[in-house]
Formats: sequence, structure tokens, C-alpha cells
Amino acid sequence: MKNKPELLAPAGDLERLKIALKYGADAVYIGGPLLNLRANAINFTIDQIKEGVEFAHSLNKKVYVTVNIVLHNEELEELDKYLKNLEKCNVDAIIVSDPTIVKEALEKTNLEVHLSTQASTLNIEACKFWKQQGVSRIVLGRECTKKEIEEIINNVDIEIETFIHGAMCAGYSGRCVMSNFLTNRDANRGGCSQICRWDFDLLDEEKKEIKGEKPFTFCSKDLSMLKFIPDMIDMGISSFKIEGRMRSIYYIATVISIYRKVIDEYYQQKDKYTYNKEYETTLRRCANRDSVPQFFNEVYDSTCSYYNGREEISNQDFLGIILDYDKETKIATIEQRNYFKKGDIVEIFGPKHNIITKKIDKIIDENNSEIEIVRHPRQVVKIKINDTVHIDDMIRVKY
Amino acid sequence: MCGDNMSKILTMPSNLVEIEKTINLVDGFIIGIKGMCVNTNYCIDINNLDILNTINDKDIFICLNKNMHNKDLEVVKNILIELNKYNIKGVLYYDVGVLNIYNSLGLNYDLVWSQEHLSTNYNTINYWHSFGVNYAHISSDITEEEIIKITEKSNAKLMVNLFGYLPMFVSKRHIIKNYLEYFNLNDNSNINYMYKENKTYPIIDNSIGTQVYSNNILNGIRTSLNIDVEYIILNSFNIKLDKFIDVINLFKTADKDNIDKYNEKINNMFTNVDYGFLNTKTIYRVKKNEK
Repeated sequence: MKNKPELLAPAGDLERLKIALKYGADAVYIGGPLLNLRANAINFTIDQIKEGVEFAHSLNKKVYVTVNIVLHNEELEELDKYLKNLEKCNVDAIIVSDPTIVKEALEKTNLEVHLSTQASTLNIEACKFWKQQGVSRIVLGRECTKKEIEEIINNVDIEIETFIHGAMCAGYSGRCVMSNFLTNRDANRGGCSQICRWDFDLLDEEKKEIKGEKPFTFCSKDLSMLKFIPDMIDMGISSFKIEGRMRSIYYIATVISIYRKVIDEYYQQKDKYTYNKEYETTLRRCANRDSVPQFFNEVYDSTCSYYNGREEISNQDFLGIILDYDKETKIATIEQRNYFKKGDIVEIFGPKHNIITKKIDKIIDENNSEIEIVRHPRQVVKIKINDTVHIDDMIRVKY
Repeated sequence: MCGDNMSKILTMPSNLVEIEKTINLVDGFIIGIKGMCVNTNYCIDINNLDILNTINDKDIFICLNKNMHNKDLEVVKNILIELNKYNIKGVLYYDVGVLNIYNSLGLNYDLVWSQEHLSTNYNTINYWHSFGVNYAHISSDITEEEIIKITEKSNAKLMVNLFGYLPMFVSKRHIIKNYLEYFNLNDNSNINYMYKENKTYPIIDNSIGTQVYSNNILNGIRTSLNIDVEYIILNSFNIKLDKFIDVINLFKTADKDNIDKYNEKINNMFTNVDYGFLNTKTIYRVKKNEK
């Protein structure tokens, strides 16, 4: 079997970085204070990057920093200093799309450079070019099919990273600036306002409306490669990437733990591996959007389009996170994230144990009073859990 | 050439008739190869390149600007070799794979780096120039001030769009076809439009996928006098020929004395004209900018 692929998680802040690594990611990718495509996320300060890298390295895991904007003249001035700062943070690689950053990083620092999916690298010749320039890994464009990825791996000796889960761009990365035109927010510099999720009227060439039951939109379903993970391992893909630096800790913990299990289960016992439908259900509930393989299996027709308008309902499954657990008294201290009550049957999941199913029988609040309902956001309560649980385990609805 | 400016005029014609009617007005044309380009109006079959021999004494640029997949690579190689038999000035490319193939062939014509939204700084233009790419097609998403800075610091010869609808989206997905299929609708339009909040965006779904253009027509005639580039590009996509010819003539004869009048003329010729990003800087740190 080929080398075990890296499971690469998004992390929008230090909390999510730690959760991702604890729940089984081999590496995380984060945005720093400058030059990344999530300009309106919180992003990491230089000190937080250092802390994140130290934490990851203590677990023998890695941190990559996205420096993946398309540079304008004005950003050239701040580039060198920023790259030097990242080098000092001891990050394991930077993820880059603008060739100027590739060149500056390779010539002026010891940073390892991964080519971002933003560069839309889709073919053998382009991969050969970037390998010659010193890039050590290429994140392929999401439009690559299974056959194309195999051809690239078989013809170019370079690490290949592909997305396995998360939201998809409607267009080729780098070639969509609808956000610029419709909202003046620069898509290629981190300001994307996701016009692809807007509704439009579609008109014919006479400018008469073509009206379907739902409005016209570019919106595509999310990506999920769950069924194809064994194939992707066998193909020799080096890194499996999960999209979503803006996602919640619950999303990250859930998605990472599922893919961790699938990779490990297949890698450890290939012959006995069977597809687990329950994993698919868990992922679907967590993301709350339909997800399909799309370009990988060359099906990118209307079954990949999302015509539900903007009626997504936010996920209420995440009930709380464990802040502490006393092994002697078996009392868990929990911070609430969604309403739950006495009598509810819940699941507790975490990286160190199988899913625990439990009926909530007694809830104690911060004043040591017994309560029936945990209704206040971030309310801290205590619950007795006989099975051993751990800090950062999560409690969710049983479904 | 433009009036007060030394830039040459390239057009992106819509058909052969337009080429015939404008050939004495312009310095050259951008022509696509069928199935290998996007946002290019007039495309010829690879087996029909002899058409190029009928366009004498003009700078001809060939557009191969689609995203290339492995199956396209051999086709690209053959096209690049075939094009060497013709008197063309250069090939516009988007995909880095095209550059890698070009550099292995030793061809007579130049390459034009034409990643329309990514050519936004002089350093990256110089990066590609160091690999033998002698021209860069500057992004339409930057300001006139940024273009001027690029002209001052770039080693490559430059071309920039200054008139027409601007490309703003390219996808491998067939977004219109998918919608029609999903809701059992029929439509055989060659061009469609997306409409929202009184704005109408041309959208095309063809064999390559889907391409969308801006709502407004860029009028960059003022900028044509302020920048020093090798070529300015005027695009006739979705523009009536008689009006387009008028526009060419205005660009050709514009100077500092008539520019206000000419600018106004173009603005009055169409109901949906603006200056694109030439005078509007995009933002991306929204919270910081929304003080």
C-alpha cells in the first residue's frame, strides 16, 4: 500500500487548531495576519502562529500558513518581512498561489512552499513546471478527475494534495471575480462575498425570463469524498484536505474524526474494510448541506447543483463541550452550545474513545442547584458520566 | 494607434465580417482556437488556420486561454507547432502547462501571460518574463494608478482591456444547462443573461463550461491617454458593429483636447457604461474598510 496520506484540517483560530489536531488531523492550515484569502476571518497573530506551531510540533504534527492572495503592487512591500516572520515561527510550509511569493519564499527564506489550489493546477505540464521551481507540494484544482490525478502522480514526482470535503467554488479558482464586480470585494485577495450562492433571474437571448421552480443560481453542493477514500489512498495522494477555515469546532471535530477513522480503518485492514454508512449520516448532519464527489468521478451535472435558495437551517446538534472531568466523582463540567434538558439521550464523542450514548439524568448548575433545562448560551453545568470522558470531548444530539 | 498615445489598438472581433470591416482601423486582432479558449469571441478551427493568411500586415494574437487538463496537452502542443507556420505575433495563455510546452519547442512567436485576474502586480509580470514570456495582459480588476505603476516597473510588453464587457467568471460546470435540465426547461439561446437588481450580466454556456461577463461596458478611453502600454484591447463582445467602429475611431483619434468630448460620446452611445475598476479600488478587509 502507498504511504499513509496526511489528513489536513482547517483552523480559524488557536482553539480550532488544537481541536483539529486532537481529533486526528496530521496537520492544519491557518491564515496569518496578512496576505491570505480569508481576510475577514479572525486569523492568527504572529504570536498565535508561534503558539500553534509549538503545540502542533509537540504532537509531532504540522502547521501550514496560507499566503495565498493574488498580490497587487501595494502588497509587495510587506511581503519579505512577513515571510521572514513566518520563517521565524518555524511553520512547516506556506501555501501560495502568486508566483512572486513562490520565488521570494524559496530565494529568501527556508520556508517550504505548497502551491495553492488557487493556482488551478490541473495538468502534468503545469505540475512539472512548479516542481522545477522548487515547490514541494501542489494542491490540485478541484476540477481534476480521478484519472487526471492518477496521471499526474504517475508522471511527476511531487507531493499531491487534494480536497476531500467541504464547500466548492462554482468556477475555476482564480477565475471568479463576480464578488469584485457585484460588491467591490476582491475575491482573489480574501474578500469573496460568495456571489455563487446568490439567486438570479435567468433570461434568454431576447431577455425573456426562463423560470424554473426555484431561482437560478451557481450554487453547488459541497464536496464529500468519503466513499472514495480507499481509492485515493491507493492512488498515492499525499495529503487529504478539508475545506473550511471559518467552520466551528464542532464541524472540525466531527469531520476530522470521521475521516481519521476511515483512513485508519482502510489503512490498517484493507481486506476487511467496509464502507460505513453511519459515517456518511454523521457528516451530512454536521454540514447540513448535501455533498457529492463532483469532478473526481466526472459527474458535475445538475445533481451537483444546489437549488434550495438560501433556506439552510443552522445545525443544532452540538450540545456542549467538556471542560473538565473528575475521574473519581465521574462528574463532567460542560459548557453548553445548544439547548438540552434532563431526559435527553445524547452522544459523547472524542478522539480517545468510541461514541458514548447517555441519558441525561441530573444537571447541576454553577450555583449547585439542580436544573431541568440548559438553555443559556455557554452556560456551564455538571453532569455525571460513568464512562471516562476527556477535556474537549463533545456532546451532540443522538440521531 | 491611439491619438495622443503610442499604444497600438488590438480588437477582440466577433466574426470575420467585423475583421474585414475594421482591418484598416486597427493594428491587430485577438482570435481564438475553437475549444481551447474562453471569453474570446471569434474562434477558428485548428484545421482552418489559413484564414490567418488573409489578415495581412496586422498583429495577430491567438488565444489559448482555457484551463488545460491532461487530455488537452497534446492538442496544445500540436496547435503551438502548427501556429509557427503562420505570421502571428503571439499566443495568449492562461495555463502554466502551455508555457512549459512552449518552452520545449523553440517557436518564433511570443507568449502573452493572460491570467486575466491574476496579472495585478509588476513583480509577477517580471517573474513570467524571466521564463521568456515577453507580453503580459494586465488584469482589468486594478486601477489606472496600479496600471501606471506596472508600466513603470515591468520588463514585459503590456496589453490592457480598455473597452467592452469584462470577463468575471469561468467554470468547467455547465451552469445554464444544469438549470434547464433540472427544471425541464427548454432554451437554445446562444447567449443568456442573469438579472438582479436592475443589472444584467451576459452568460454563456458552451462546450468548455460557463463564462460570465460584467453588467457594464468598460469605457477606458481616458486611461488610454494616461498609460504607456504596447496594446490597448477593445472587445466587441455583445456590441453592435456600427457602434464598435465608432468606438474604434474615437480611441484612434483621442487626444488631450478632445478627450472629454470623446469620453462623453462613448458614455452616451450605451446605456450601461462605466470605468470598471480603473477608478475604483476593490476592498477585501471589509471590517476595516467599513468604518
